[in-house]
Formats: sequence, structure tokens, C-alpha cells
Amino acid sequence: MSSPARLRIAGGTVYDPTNGVDGVVRDVCIEDGRIVAELPRDAQRLDAGGMVVMPGGVDIHSHIAGPSVNHARRLSPEEHAADAMPAPRLEDATLARSGTGGTVPTTFATGYRYAGLGYTTAMEAAVAPLGARHAHAELDDTPILDAGFFVLLGNDDYLLRQIAAGETARARDYAAWLLGVTRGYAIKIVNPGGVALWKSGGSDGTRNVTGLDDIVGSTSVTPRKILETLGAAANALALPHPVHVHSNNLGQPGNYATTLASMKALGGQRAHFTHLQFHSYGGERGKPWQSAARDVMEYVNAHPETSVDVGQVMFGPATTVTADSPVEHLLATSTGGGRKWVNVDIELESGCGIVPYVYKEKAAVAALQWAVGLELFLLAKDPWRVVLSTDHPNGGTFLSYPELIRLLMDRSYRDERLKAVNQKLLGGSALLDGLSREYTLQEIAIVTRAGPARLLGLTNKGHLGPGADADVTLYTSDADRAKMFATPRYVLKGGTVVVEEGQLRRAPAGQRLSVRPEYDTAVTKDLRRFFEQNATVSFANYGAEAVP
Amino acid sequence: MTERATEHVTCLGCGCACDDIGVVVKHGRITQANNACALGAAWFGDGMVPAEIRVDGQAATLEKAIHKAATLLVRAKRPLVYIAGDVSCEAQREAVAIGDRLHAAVDSLAATAAAAVLAAQRRGRATATLGEIRRQADLVVFWAVDPSERYPRFTARYTGERRASRAVIGVDVGPSRGPRDSDLRVTIAPDDEVDALAIMRAIVAGRDLDAAERFESAVDLARRMMRARYAAIVADGEPSSAAADPDRAEALVALAQALNGPTRCALATLRAGGNRSGADAVLTWQTGFPFAVDFAGGTPAYRPARGARVLLAGGEIDAALVVGSPATLPEDVAEGLGGKSVAVVGPRASAATFGPGVAIDTGVAGIHECGTAFRMDDVPLPLRASLPGPPAALNVVRTIRERLGARTHE
Repeated sequence: MSSPARLRIAGGTVYDPTNGVDGVVRDVCIEDGRIVAELPRDAQRLDAGGMVVMPGGVDIHSHIAGPSVNHARRLSPEEHAADAMPAPRLEDATLARSGTGGTVPTTFATGYRYAGLGYTTAMEAAVAPLGARHAHAELDDTPILDAGFFVLLGNDDYLLRQIAAGETARARDYAAWLLGVTRGYAIKIVNPGGVALWKSGGSDGTRNVTGLDDIVGSTSVTPRKILETLGAAANALALPHPVHVHSNNLGQPGNYATTLASMKALGGQRAHFTHLQFHSYGGERGKPWQSAARDVMEYVNAHPETSVDVGQVMFGPATTVTADSPVEHLLATSTGGGRKWVNVDIELESGCGIVPYVYKEKAAVAALQWAVGLELFLLAKDPWRVVLSTDHPNGGTFLSYPELIRLLMDRSYRDERLKAVNQKLLGGSALLDGLSREYTLQEIAIVTRAGPARLLGLTNKGHLGPGADADVTLYTSDADRAKMFATPRYVLKGGTVVVEEGQLRRAPAGQRLSVRPEYDTAVTKDLRRFFEQNATVSFANYGAEAVP
Repeated sequence: MTERATEHVTCLGCGCACDDIGVVVKHGRITQANNACALGAAWFGDGMVPAEIRVDGQAATLEKAIHKAATLLVRAKRPLVYIAGDVSCEAQREAVAIGDRLHAAVDSLAATAAAAVLAAQRRGRATATLGEIRRQADLVVFWAVDPSERYPRFTARYTGERRASRAVIGVDVGPSRGPRDSDLRVTIAPDDEVDALAIMRAIVAGRDLDAAERFESAVDLARRMMRARYAAIVADGEPSSAAADPDRAEALVALAQALNGPTRCALATLRAGGNRSGADAVLTWQTGFPFAVDFAGGTPAYRPARGARVLLAGGEIDAALVVGSPATLPEDVAEGLGGKSVAVVGPRASAATFGPGVAIDTGVAGIHECGTAFRMDDVPLPLRASLPGPPAALNVVRTIRERLGARTHE
């Protein structure tokens, strides 16, 4: 169909949780790319009778663009060769761009495939400031999606120096400056202090932190101080999204204690804890792992200022890619070696580690991870603060979201799958107690759209009220929820029909989402001096601003 | 206005991409490139480049040349798009789009470091951006390379000033020697190089082995590296017979990775200039592959053993678009283009020696054109224009792409 300036999506069953609409048959009106309250009767109609209508999906945490993602792409030519994507033919008969998929698709494939699932907004979750210019260039080549990225802080030399010196205000000004010059969207903290130790060298045992009060270089710098400093900065700067935290000890047995300690360290203020599944394990090193989802979710349920995304593990191939480089070294060497492994130490800032990985349902740890993720979803009392994610491509790719939705909505299917997985470590899992919950369509709309939009502070996203961006997904209802969510009937982006029954129809450029908080510019004088002494990139060339 | 200075200019003379160059322009010519090394000074020159537009050797309008270029590309049965040096990532993105649209073979100067790239695809990498090496390394091993020759400011900028806490070891492999002023030299016979690397890796992995006496210095070197807090290995990724050996490239990666057990280690692979690392990055994010991409089947396919050089030598290619400076082309690629129907869009295109049918001179990225380029360690940097020049490569390539029309059939 064409994409007129005015369009009435007529008679669909609308799920718009932000506006309290839960499965109500009503029209959704669009004018000039926005939702409007009403349209003249002669406006073009799209008959949505029998269809489920939701806002476009919003991915709060995904790795889709920038230096680390590109290193991961380069690492797996065989995956790309096995998943070549011809250029889609658009409605005007022209061809869009070809590409390749696998667990780390090319930029164009990323845009088209997200749109194909009904997602219209995504946040790249980890960009080192030094790579910001690169990340923007990739997002420029990622069509349809409105996108932004989170800027890595918390292992950067300048910040740690300010913390050591007790310069909290300067740390805040620095964070604000950095978000502005990189054109980033939010502050991302990855394994605070741990990556800095990994980069500073030495032998095993000294090159990561193990808890919130470990010392990082200076005795006054600890993961706790880093969290507190940046958490307070994000709130003081009134950023639309609070600190986005990847806690210490990712993937370690017994790490739930660190996770809870991190949440408590930021208690009373907004903070988002990402891929919680990877941080919710009981047990201890050398002993069997177990689920600690109950303990972690109990805390989240009781603390309205805390939000999370799950980072569900889905069986099949994945690529683990993270700034948490010591963890990737562990993964690369702990399983007998022989895996491809990338490590890039990023000067003064951060790290990058990559290991391609396959989650097998017959593997005990993978089965535990799968179960822990589902437990978190099913034990969550407030879906507004528990976002659906696979930490693409770490726990699985975004293409597995429909399957994940089915696991959440269909208990009998879930139980059947549960029987097929390795049971060895599932002893303490709430799943075995017969968690009977089934997510409703409204709850799915919350965890895939309304919730993440609200948590990101994207007031025009994730809902269908007047003034919202006309990002709308229409599904043909199907008892098989995986099938239903895998192939939307229509996807509209800014009022334009971009996907029709799985076919890409148009591929407009997306918008960039970024912030530019105010700060005391006195900090730049000190930063300039720091750059002259320590950096290999000129201060004037740093960041991602256009140069004359 | 007779004198103008532009600060923080990025030089693409080699892969170091030094971004601290101060370019002074007087009376329309570059008179100084402050901070630049000899190689950089030569790269900037006086900033004067030809601004000719030729079709079949005759002067032509830009419009006519673009039309001719588009026509020869659309008519081609087996087109090649080659990304040469001294163009921005923005122009490279357009060049790949043309390759996609034409179902062409696409290759670039990034292929010159193929052995290192392929090794990294088989095993991964243990590396660092160069500033981290300068900051952390207490031991730097230059493996059969003296950067002062082809990467003159590498040592000063990226492995840092000499100091008591940083040791420099030069490994000499045949004629490929480490820096002259190394604190220690280790000599390895060229035929022993891959074995020496394997033995070192075994030592690092803690395996007991009886290495032949001639490997004694390599064994000592491995032990010394294990005692470092943060070791860096610097090797040349650019062609010489040794650098192109896939086993050697892989053995270097494997050693660097293994050293991250007992200590930390980063392998820095030196790459040449002209923003070839940008071509690698752009091709990777648009196609999934870093060089030698063939769109002939309608999707990107990786043909590392059948890149531009092989396709040209095999007579498969009937027409080509070269985006970038023809002077930067590898000799065999330039030779292979002779007699083909070729359009060149780039700096000094009109000086191409292989007689292209269309030559459109553009400015040089980083001298006359802004944009983005990548350092050899994949750090993106802005390019600044110090003086005006001929039409921008980005604009010309984009216009050609638009002129091709959208492909509407398979």
C-alpha cells in the first residue's frame, strides 16, 4: 500500500499500555508521521480488522554498531556466507541494499531485519568514546531504525582520576561533556574498575575486580565509588535514561551477591541493570551453579527506582561481544581453548572482548542460563521495569525475540521445552516449581515497547497517543505467538509503511537519538591538558562532531 | 588572505594517521606541514593537485565524464569496483553501494594486509589501540620490523619515549630487522621463523619441550615476555614475502593470545596509509567481509583468494571503477587495469598510467576534503580540509551512483 500523509488504521485491536488501552478495538490516526486524535472521514484507511496493533518495538540494549560490533563481524565470515541477504525489492521496484546476516548482521541487514520484526527503535549498548565517530557512521548505514548509543564510562582513566581526587563535580561535568561530544544517549558502565585492571597488565588474579570494594589503582577508587559517582551524575544531569549498568562478575557462579550489592549501592535513585540473567547465579567457583533469579527479582520487585533488561539466552549460535574483556578471556580459555577470541584494549577508556559461542540445550550451564532468564521474566511483578532483551548478539540474536515471546506467553510450550534441556543445574530453579504465568499481549507490549521507551525517556516512542511518532506494528493474530511476532502484517515507521507481510517496502533513514547535557565548561581546560599528556588523538579531533 | 593555518590535521601518508599536523597555506599552496615526518611532508606536498576531467584522453566536462563513467559501468558484464588510497570513508561507502548496485566485484587496498586479516579471522586477535600500548607496555618486541622506515612517527607516538621501565627488543629475521637502537636483539633465520613462534607459544603455554639449540634465543625471548607486565609485539602487516605468509601471521596472533595467560600482551599490526583501514571497516559493516567481496550472485560473497588482482589477471573483468588515487594501486592491479574499460575518480586520476577511459581528478581526502578515516588500529579520525581543491570524490562518486539509476531487476 502507499504511505499517505494521512492514514487511519481502522478497526484493529489496539494494545497501547502507556495510554491504558488493553486490547480495545479502535482506530489509530496518523498525520505527517505522528499519531493524531482524529482525521477527516475521507482519509485513507488501512483495514486492521482482526489484527493486533501495537507501537513499534523499542530495543533498550543491543549491539548493532561501532568498533566492537565490526570486530565481531570481521571474525565470522563463515556465518555471513551461510546467511547472505539479497537486496530487497522495494515498493517502487528499486532494490535496497544487500548484506549478510549471521549473529552479527551487516548494517543494512540489521535495519531491515529489525523492521521486519516490528522494531523501529534500538539502542546500541556499548560504544567506547574513541569509537563514537565509527558508531555514528554505521548507524548512518542502518536504515529505518531510530537509534542511539550508550557511551562507555567507568574504566576510563580521566574519570578514575577524578574519583581518586574526590572531584565529583568535575566527574559529572566530564560525563556531560563526553555525552555531548560523542553525540551519545546515556552513560553505560561495564564491569566498573575491572576492565581498567585487566588493561593494566600483570598475571591472573590481579586483573579483574571481584566485588564492589576492591581497589582499582588508587585506594579511593572502587567499583562502588564508580557506580555512585556516575549514578549521581546521570541523575543530576537529568539524563533521559539513568546509568545503564553491566555489573561486576558477569557470568560467574555466585555473582547474584555482587548484583544485589550493586543495586543497593545505587538504591534510592534511578538505575538500569542490564542483561540481568548473566548476573543472577548462585553457587560458587568450583561448585555447581544454580539459579538465584528469585533473590534478584525479589529486590527488583521491591524497588521501583530499579529497572532491568533480561538478556535472555536462546539456544543456538551467538557471538559474545562486550567491553568486559577479562570475562571474554575467561570464556576463551576456560573451555579448553580453541575458540576464536578477540581482545582490544582501548586506550584510556575501555576494552573489547569477543568470543563466538553456541548455547546448547544439552549443556548444563546454557540450560541454567536459559532457565534463569525465563524465571526473571516470570517472577517480575512490574513488567514496566523488566525489558525483553537477549543482549543481542550475546544471548542470542534479536531474531529470536518471537520465540522468546512464545516462551513467555505459552506455558505448555515452555514446559515442553523445559523437559528437553539439561536438568543438571536446574535444582533451585523456580521454573521447576511450575511457574504457571503466561504473559498477556498487553504485557508483551509493555516489555517490548512501552516499558523500554519509558525507561529511555523517549516520550514519543512506545505508545500510540496523540503526538507520538507513528511507529506502529500490526500483527495477524495467531495462537502460535512465535509465528505471529515473527511476521508482522504491517510495520509503519514515522507513518511510512516499511514492511508488509514480511516484505520490505520502503527503507527510509532513521533518526539519531542523542543528548547534549549542560555542564561547567571549565572542565574542558583540564581535559585538554589531560589529552595533551596522555592521548594519541588530538583533543580537537576527539568525539564525533563534524569538523569544518 | 595570504596565509592560513589549519591545526589538528590528520595525515594519511601511512597508517599512523598522525592527527597533530599543522598545515600552513600561503598563496594557495601548502608551505609547511608542522609535525609531519618526511613521508607525511611528501604526502601533503604543496597541496597542488591536477583538476582535469578526461574522457578517452580528451578534456571533458564533469557532466560528460560522469555520464560516460555510469554508461561504461552499466554496460559492463563483469565490473570491478576498486577502492584505492586517499579517499574518505564517506566516499568508500558510496563506492561499495555502486558495487552492490552493479553486482560487481569489490576490492580495496585493505587486501595488501590479507595475511594478517585472514589470520585474525581464523583465530581472532589480541591487540590494543596504539595509545594503550604506549601507556601500558613495559616490553615492546619489534618483530622483524623497524617502523622508522615506513611508519616514521610510530615509535614516538605509539610506543612512547624510551624509559627505564620499558625495554625494546628487536627481532631480526633475515633482512627484516628490528630497530637499530633496540636494547636487545634476537636473530632468527627466516626458515625458522614460524617454528620459533610455535616454540615460543609452547613455552608460554607451559609445555616442556626440547627445542633445538638454534631456538635458544627465541625460548629466552618467550620467557622474558612472560615476565613482562604488559608485552607488545609490533609486526608489519604490509607486503613483503614474510608478511604475506599466512602461517607466520597466524603464529604471531597465536603467540600474542597465549601470552595473555601468564601476562598481558597486545599484537600491533602495522598497516600502510591512504585510509585502507577505513576501506576494511566500511566493507565489513556493509557486507560482512573486509576485502575481496563479490556481489556477482546478488549477495556479498567473500573471495579472499580471488580478489581484484586475480580477477584482472584472469581476464574476467571487462570494466572497472577505481575510487581513489591510482598512484596508490598495487602494481599488479594497475597493470591488470590496462586495456580494460576503466573510470577513475580520485586524486590525480588524470595521471593514471593505465590509460583509463574516464579520469576525474578530485581533491585528496585530508588535504582538500573533509570526512572520516581510520588509523591502522581502527581508531576513526576526522579529516580536515586545509585548502580548496578539485571536485570532492564523495560528490562525484555519489553522482555516479545516482546516475546508474536504481537497479530494478535481478
